Amino acid sequence: MKKVSIYRPTTVDEAIQILSQHGASASVYAGGTDLLVRLKNRLEQAPSYLVDIKKIDHLRYIKEDAQGGVEIGAATKLAELADSRLLQEKYPMVVEAIGKISSPELRNASTLGGDLLQEVWCQYLRGGYSCWRNGGYLCYGAIGDNSYYHSAMGGRLCYAVYPGDAATALIPFDARAKLATPQGVKELSIEQMVPGDMLVDGKIQSHVVRYNEILTSVVIPPPKPGVRASFEKLRPRGVWDFAMASLGISLQLRDKTIEDSRVVFGGISGKPYRETTVEAFLKGKTLNTDLGEQAVSVALAGAAPLKYNATKIDMAKGLLASGLARLNT
Amino acid sequence: MQPIEALLLEPVGCLAEFPSAPFHEIAVRLFGRKRKTSSSASRTYWHLLNLIDDMDTPFDEEKKSIAEALEVEAVDAANIYEDVVPALAELKSMGTRLFVASSLSRRAVSRFVERNSLGDFLSGVCARDDAGGVKSAPLVNVLGGACLPREKTMFLTDTMEGIKIARSVGVHPILMMNDPDEAQRLAMHNPAGGIISLHEMPDFLRLIAAQNQRS
Repeated sequence: MKKVSIYRPTTVDEAIQILSQHGASASVYAGGTDLLVRLKNRLEQAPSYLVDIKKIDHLRYIKEDAQGGVEIGAATKLAELADSRLLQEKYPMVVEAIGKISSPELRNASTLGGDLLQEVWCQYLRGGYSCWRNGGYLCYGAIGDNSYYHSAMGGRLCYAVYPGDAATALIPFDARAKLATPQGVKELSIEQMVPGDMLVDGKIQSHVVRYNEILTSVVIPPPKPGVRASFEKLRPRGVWDFAMASLGISLQLRDKTIEDSRVVFGGISGKPYRETTVEAFLKGKTLNTDLGEQAVSVALAGAAPLKYNATKIDMAKGLLASGLARLNT
Repeated sequence: MQPIEALLLEPVGCLAEFPSAPFHEIAVRLFGRKRKTSSSASRTYWHLLNLIDDMDTPFDEEKKSIAEALEVEAVDAANIYEDVVPALAELKSMGTRLFVASSLSRRAVSRFVERNSLGDFLSGVCARDDAGGVKSAPLVNVLGGACLPREKTMFLTDTMEGIKIARSVGVHPILMMNDPDEAQRLAMHNPAGGIISLHEMPDFLRLIAAQNQRS
C-alpha cells in the first residue's frame, strides 16, 4: 500500500484548511471503499495525505427539513440510508437504488458522499495503467476491453463510465448537494456536481468538487404530488457489480397524464446521463402499455458505442421500457 | 510534459481518411513491388516512405511526376475527418502553432490544404520537396525553420514509424487512435499520449497546461 499521512480534523473548517495546505496530494477519507483500494493498488493518482472526516460531527444524519424534504449528511453510511424509514416513506425508489449498490458489507462502510464522488472503476486505471486519470495521456479503455466499464455515449479523453448509483437515483428528485468551501457554503444540483469528465485542478475527474472543498450534505426536495419513481439496474451478477446499465426515472402524473418527468441512465456514460429527449417526448403523454416502446424509439439517439459495448445501449433502452411498464402497474 | 506550443501534423491518417490504392500504385510502378502491404492507407503510405527513404538517388522527373500525380489522386479521394476543422480552429484560438509536416510531395500537400481550406489555421507547411527527404526530414525542417522547442512540440501519428521518428527528432509522439485494434498494438510502442479524435486535442493541451500550473 502507498504510504500516507492521516489527519483527523474535528471540524469542517479544519478539514478544509488541511486540504488547502496540501493541494491535490490530499483527499477526503470517509468510508474508504474506493480510496483505500486505490492506495492499495499504488495508483500514481492516489493521494499522499488523507483527511479523515469521520470524527467531524454533523456529517452523518438523515433528517426531515422544514420544507418536508430530507437532508442527508455526506458521511452517512449507505446501509443507514437503506434502513431509513424516513427515506422509505418519502423516496422508496432511492432506498431501492441504495440497496442495489455493491454488497451488504460494503454498504456498511461506504458513505453517500463517497458513492457520489467515487473514482471510476475502469480496469485499466485500477490496474495501474498510465491513463488520463493516472498520470498518463491515453485511454486504454477506448482501445481495449470496453465491454463493461466504459462509455457508450462518447467521452472526453477518459472513456470510463461514471460508476455511482446514488446520483442516478437522486437526480430524478432534483436533489441538491451542499459543499463546504474556503469561501463558504456552495450549493448545486447533483446533476451539476457530477457532469462527467472535467478538468478540475489539473486532473480529470467525474465531479466538480475542488481539492479544498468537502461535500457535506445532500438535500432531496419534498416529494411532489402524483410522483411515481422507479430504479432499474442490470449487472453481470446479482450483488457487488456496478451497473452495465441502470435507470432512475420519475414521472409526475395527473391521473394517467405525464406532466413532468426525469429520465436518468447510469452505467452507460461518463456521467449520470439525463435523457432530456425522452423527457420532452413523455410530457403530456398518457401512461399506458404502448408508451415504453414509443419512448425507446426516441431514446439515446446520441449513442456512440465503443467496439465492445453497444449492448449497453440495448440494455438501457430495455430498462426504459421496463421502467415505464413498472410505473404503469 | 511541458506546456505544448506547436503541433506537427501528417495529413495521411491524422487529418483525413486516405485511400491506400494510390500509394500502393506508386510502390508498384516506381519500385516494382507486387504484394499489397496492407489495406490501411497509413501503413501503405509509410511502407512507401521507407522505399523512398532507401533510394540511392532521388526520383527523376518522370518518376517524380508519376508519384505526384498518384498522391494528388489520393488527396482528391481523401475524406477529411469531420472534427478536424473545428479542432484546428480551437487550437489556433488557444495560441497553438499548427504545422503540416508531411512526406507527401509539395503538390499533394498544397492540394490537400487548399481543397480542405486549412490554410488559415496553419503557421507553416512543409512537404518532402521542401525538406529534401521523407519521414523525419519534414519534422526537422519545421522544427528548425520555425525555431520550435522540441520538448513543447507534438507530432500526431497513427503508425509505429511515426512514433519512432517523433522520438528520434525529440518531439512528443501522439497516437491518433483511429482503429482500436491497431491502436492497442501501437500503444505498446510507448507513445507520449493518444487521442481518439482531433477534437480531444484542445482538452489534452489544457490538461497539460493545468498540470504545469499545479506543479
